[in-house]
Amino acid sequence: MSLAIIDARQWQNRFDLESGQKKEESHPAAAMLSKVLSWNPYPGDMDEKANEWVTRTALDLMDQYEPNLVCLSYVQQFFSHRHLAHSQADWEKMCETAMAEAEKFIKISGYTPVIVGTGGMIPLKEEIDVSGLDGLAVSSNWSARYCGVHWPSSGDMELLSALKAREKIERIVSKKEWIDLFRSEEPKVKIHQDEVLMPDFLVVAAEGHSFKTLGTTLRKPVNIPANNFKIPVYTPLGSVDDIRGIKHLVRSNLDHHKIALILVEGVGKAFFPSDHAMCENGPGWFCHEPGDAFYLTLSTGKHEPFAYPAGYRSFDLDAEAVKFPFSGYMLSVPENTLALDYPGKSIAVGNRSMFMHMMFGVDISIECFARNLFNQGCLGALHRMDKYEK
Amino acid sequence: MKCHFCEHRCDLTKGKSFCGMYADEGGRAVERYPDRWCTYSPSRIESVPFYHAWPGSRSMIIGTAGCNFRCRYCSNSFIACRNPAEVQDVMFEFSGEKLTAMAKKLGCHNIIFNVNEPAVSLPSLMRVSEHAKKEGIPMGCLTNGYTTEESTLMLAEIFSFVHVGLKGFSNAFYKEYVGVNSIDPILRNIYTLSQHCHIEIASPVIENVNDHELPDIAEFICDINPDIPWHVFRLLPEHQMKEMKYPDIERMNQVLESSRKLLPYIYFHNFVGSDWVNTLCPQCGAVAVKRFSLGCSGDRLDEFLAPGNICPACGAGIAMLGTKVSWNEKREKEGV
Repeated sequence: MSLAIIDARQWQNRFDLESGQKKEESHPAAAMLSKVLSWNPYPGDMDEKANEWVTRTALDLMDQYEPNLVCLSYVQQFFSHRHLAHSQADWEKMCETAMAEAEKFIKISGYTPVIVGTGGMIPLKEEIDVSGLDGLAVSSNWSARYCGVHWPSSGDMELLSALKAREKIERIVSKKEWIDLFRSEEPKVKIHQDEVLMPDFLVVAAEGHSFKTLGTTLRKPVNIPANNFKIPVYTPLGSVDDIRGIKHLVRSNLDHHKIALILVEGVGKAFFPSDHAMCENGPGWFCHEPGDAFYLTLSTGKHEPFAYPAGYRSFDLDAEAVKFPFSGYMLSVPENTLALDYPGKSIAVGNRSMFMHMMFGVDISIECFARNLFNQGCLGALHRMDKYEK
Repeated sequence: MKCHFCEHRCDLTKGKSFCGMYADEGGRAVERYPDRWCTYSPSRIESVPFYHAWPGSRSMIIGTAGCNFRCRYCSNSFIACRNPAEVQDVMFEFSGEKLTAMAKKLGCHNIIFNVNEPAVSLPSLMRVSEHAKKEGIPMGCLTNGYTTEESTLMLAEIFSFVHVGLKGFSNAFYKEYVGVNSIDPILRNIYTLSQHCHIEIASPVIENVNDHELPDIAEFICDINPDIPWHVFRLLPEHQMKEMKYPDIERMNQVLESSRKLLPYIYFHNFVGSDWVNTLCPQCGAVAVKRFSLGCSGDRLDEFLAPGNICPACGAGIAMLGTKVSWNEKREKEGV
């Protein structure tokens, strides 16, 4: 039974993470987590101190818990650049500042780093309006490249083909073709197929384009992720050439190292130390965008594009009394995540909200609780109290 | 030529309206951007938040651009406070018929206008309502209530359930924080709307700014009808008040204690995990409707315990427009 502590500033409440019901908890680990939360109010997704909050909060939690594995995400620059126009010089400074924050953490903590960038961002050239289809086109707030098309008419397919001919759309992928691309990963698509949530077609935008349809944000993006088929990874622990290899690299070194796995979103190779490696970020035409599937792939060591993808009619599952109400789209604890069966101590801290506590399988996590950039406070999750000694 | 849609009564011969959404055309106030919507997304009715109308139902949320207020703390300033001309590239173009068809396609029980102020898009909304009525889809909205008497009746014609923002209870507050001189039209319109449709009222509370006006608001609501649900929001200031301190939850809750004796349906929320989102029976205090709050636009029905809108413990009636509608009811009925 995992505990969720919500800190809405000056006010905390405790819940069972799975049911969302209020929960009393007298274990000293809960008191410790409450204390760390109260020391570190979240400044907001776009606030320039949001990354510093990650470092400070992580160090405070480490002082109390002494973990061997720390997972961090620094995302302020991604949120900010997605929504605001910056000069190239300002954007470069933001990337450097984000990397400097990660380096500061490493310097203070002394942990061995595995720093992963989700890849660079480019200006949005044009939105592709697919809202008028006879069928239903579904994308998501945080996806630019992918859009699901349900129940398309022949006219819809003609329109999509015309957009492809005009090089707005890169490809139109059938459900079968999409699943086949990941066949070797034994994709977990059955439940979605059974419930008919998966789209008939996945439509892939040409680089620099983004979809405008159901699920996309009211705030038009200014910059979007580039097609990052390769992403930068810096670590002294050894070489890795595929995003799926990062889990093994971390786990196989935990016996001898205290490790910090650090994600820096929106940042590409130009800002990484020169001795970084470039990793494959997906098979064939597919590349992960920053978001749920990226984090999950990194953490499980398997591509997880069907777990929480853009394009599904996920809203059909949004009934009352769903499990894990604090966990966004996630309705269950993901399996085989990085620290789930790790016997040592682990924590995660980040300013990606509502899924850090699920993605890495760590004992304790603290993340911001922001929705659509509105700052609601922080979520602390306590999965393993038994490892806490005081 | 004066615009008749809101109490600014802008002189359109001098240019566009204050909200930027109307212009003079041959002596008539016409929309500058008709049938253009900033969103069409399925959401829970509780997220709006309507707590006493078709609990559990799936709503299609719509909005346009522009507003006739300039709240210093506006949460949607990126769409509501900007010149509508500047945000037309994010808009979707749907006729009333197409928007209604979309609501059906998405399995929505109702359509709710809630991003900005409906008074700035009344002719478009009227066209949607013509089709929605034919399809048996009720419509609701959030409004700031600063409409003329004439357009208030239009609101009541289009919408069967209305959430009115009563942001303070003094001219001074409205002048300083909202940008209009008088609260009187809003109070008048709340009364009018209460006579024609289901209403709920929302008041954002800003500590040391308008919290002392909360008891007056409660008395005003009670005089109209004590069964009107009142939502007190812990305001997370945005826009020009981004740096303000978040209101203290315990203290604000204490301020509401005396009002709870007047109004049985008071809710205090807009923060994650609020303890004050359940509907309690006005007679015996038993929980009739359980909800869960994720903060702004994140409330949901947890459990509806009052079949037929009757308290499960004592049998007293719970004030409600319609009754529970399950999330997938439309889909199941239509075999989608």
